[in-house]
Amino acid sequence: MGGTLIVEDLHSSVEGKEILRGVNLTVKPGEFHVVMGPNGSGKSTLALTIAGHPKYEVTGGRIVFKGRDVTKMPPHERAKLGIFLAFQQPHEVEGVRIMEFLQQVLAELKGMDGAEAYDLIIRTAKDMWFREEDLYRPINVGFSGGERKRLELLQAVLIKPDLLILDEPDSGVDVDSMSLISRKIEQLNEEGTSVILITHYGRILKHLEPEDIKVHVMKDGRIVMTRGGEFIDEIERRGFQDIFKDCCGGD
Amino acid sequence: MEDARSIIENQIEELAERNREPEWMTEIRRKALEAFLKAPHNDPVISEEELLQFIARPEIKGLPEKIESLDDLPEDMRNLLDRLGISEVEQKYLAGMAVQTDTGIVYNQFLKEWAEKGLTVLPTEEAVRKYPDVVKSHFLRLIDASESKLAAYHTAVWNGGIFLHVREGLKVPFPLHLFFLIQESALAQAPHIIIIAEPNSEFHLIEGCTSPVLVRHSLHLDMTEAYIGDGAKARLTVLQNWPEYVHTRPMTRAKVGRNASFINTTVTLGSGKSNVANPKYTVDEGGRVELNGIILGQKDYYIDLGGEMKLIGRGASGLNASKSVIMDRSRVITRGVIEAMAPGTKGHISCDALLMSDEAEMETYPGLRSRVSEAELSHEAAIGRIREEELFYLMSRGLDEEKATQLIVKGFLAPMLKDIPAEFLVEIRKIVEMAVSGGM
Ligand SMILES: Nc1ncnc2c1ncn2[C@@H]1O[C@H](COP(=O)(O)OP(=O)(O)O)[C@@H](O)[C@H]1O
Ligand SMILES: [Mg+2]
Repeated sequence: MGGTLIVEDLHSSVEGKEILRGVNLTVKPGEFHVVMGPNGSGKSTLALTIAGHPKYEVTGGRIVFKGRDVTKMPPHERAKLGIFLAFQQPHEVEGVRIMEFLQQVLAELKGMDGAEAYDLIIRTAKDMWFREEDLYRPINVGFSGGERKRLELLQAVLIKPDLLILDEPDSGVDVDSMSLISRKIEQLNEEGTSVILITHYGRILKHLEPEDIKVHVMKDGRIVMTRGGEFIDEIERRGFQDIFKDCCGGD
Repeated sequence: MEDARSIIENQIEELAERNREPEWMTEIRRKALEAFLKAPHNDPVISEEELLQFIARPEIKGLPEKIESLDDLPEDMRNLLDRLGISEVEQKYLAGMAVQTDTGIVYNQFLKEWAEKGLTVLPTEEAVRKYPDVVKSHFLRLIDASESKLAAYHTAVWNGGIFLHVREGLKVPFPLHLFFLIQESALAQAPHIIIIAEPNSEFHLIEGCTSPVLVRHSLHLDMTEAYIGDGAKARLTVLQNWPEYVHTRPMTRAKVGRNASFINTTVTLGSGKSNVANPKYTVDEGGRVELNGIILGQKDYYIDLGGEMKLIGRGASGLNASKSVIMDRSRVITRGVIEAMAPGTKGHISCDALLMSDEAEMETYPGLRSRVSEAELSHEAAIGRIREEELFYLMSRGLDEEKATQLIVKGFLAPMLKDIPAEFLVEIRKIVEMAVSGGM
């Protein structure tokens, strides 16, 4: 377990358009970071660039994890190193059944044999409100927004990554699922997983003490403020436009 | 052409003697030879000149004279079998199921018991001698030898193949696996298969094997005539995995009776250099036919899958569905035709293709013809590539590109493979995986 993530002056472009314009961020083992910011400020781009999405081209800076420069590493190797991204909009993968996929992932990442993985998947899935027959459906095909988010979390719980990046795990999710998801995130963090949580709402965190959280605010492809956990309430109260007056003169 | 005439004449005499064949059959061959000389030749790949060359020099050089067991195979072929883990599976079936050799069919206990109940499986040559009347009334009744040079040539030199007869009302509860393994000479390039399902019978015949078929010739012409009686439920699954030097031209004709169903699945893993098929079916009142094609196009292979369904009886229905995975520079064409000739008929053509390279090509020409006003005919086609987002999703969980691609390709084909027994699925999946990762 463990391993520090260092994002250094990261620039990233999509289709020739620069989105990230110099992001700096350090996440030490077991830390809990929250990233907030208005729509379009580059939060998802940061997450996808760290995970190695081929569409997001790094044009400057670097990403280091566990002492290794992963900036050019293919996505599956980053996953093997312990990075996991729970997507904001998890894609459908036609034809590939969840069970078969997860068995192969657990074989690949944990060296688990099929039968052992099967038992673990069934047990964990039930604990996260999936029925056994859901596991024989193709990944995300016909899933509601909430089901997709729960499936992302199920994978995180099975894989137990060293670094868990969650991109709005709370959007499109009903109240009950929300509390299940936040419980699982906190549980993973207690067991040592570092977390980067992208969210609009502080409500997702119930049991974490504000002093154990770092909050970053993004604007136009940069992190413009970093504060403690108590800042979440302030952002919710004042809104981003008002907050930005403190740092960036507000525009 | 004169050369071809004398070569074929000699082959006919040789076959007649070797098979101790009744005169009426030899007469069919001789007539087919005359038809061959006049018949049109309209193959999209093989020119007439090439065809004559294949007839003059049918054998591929460099392969062993006699292939009696897997040990006689060239080393690279044997290695391939080992990598697929096929040898064991095959061995198991060699011991347990019907295997056609040049000298006959090896039965297991199971088949012997069922023979008494009315399940007949014989080499076609033997059926000609043993049940001449039945064969006479079912041989070449669904196809006209003079329709093309290939059909005529097949008819003149046919050799090998099986005769399957299922007695009225007999329901065979296990799939019948038939392997064509040992093929002694070039003359075995044209097996003739006759399937007779008496009314209300049920069976599933699985033909061929997924390991490379052991052939020494460059042109393979097999013909299947299927007579599906009223109320019968028949399934024919053909697994093809041809060596890359073979051109294959399967010819299938089926007559589907009232309220009968015929599900014809072809799994083309190795198409050979080219594979052109245009099976034809007629479907009577309330009957149903399905042609399910699974196609793996590789290298520069050319695969052309037609399928013509004539819905002649009220309420008859037809489905022509294919799923193709097209790699490298290979080219796949599907051209199903469904003709509604009676009221209340239904037909659907669907064609899905996954293009795996920029040079891979897919064309589809669905043909729907309605001769009546009350018929439902439809078609759909989807030709696409693996989406970047799908691949990234799988890779972001730790699967490399090859493994992620394999999962997606297997997932794409899966719905079509639902009727195939598990032992074959294991092999089929391995062949697909190896093809996708470029290891064939
Ligand atoms: N795949 C993409 N193609 C084109 N533009 C993109 C893509 N992804 C993000 N962008 C653009 O980058 C900017 C930041 O988007 P994003 O990272 O999704 O923001 P956030 O997650 O903070 O809402 C937006 O202007 C968005 O339109
Ligand atoms: Mg976003």
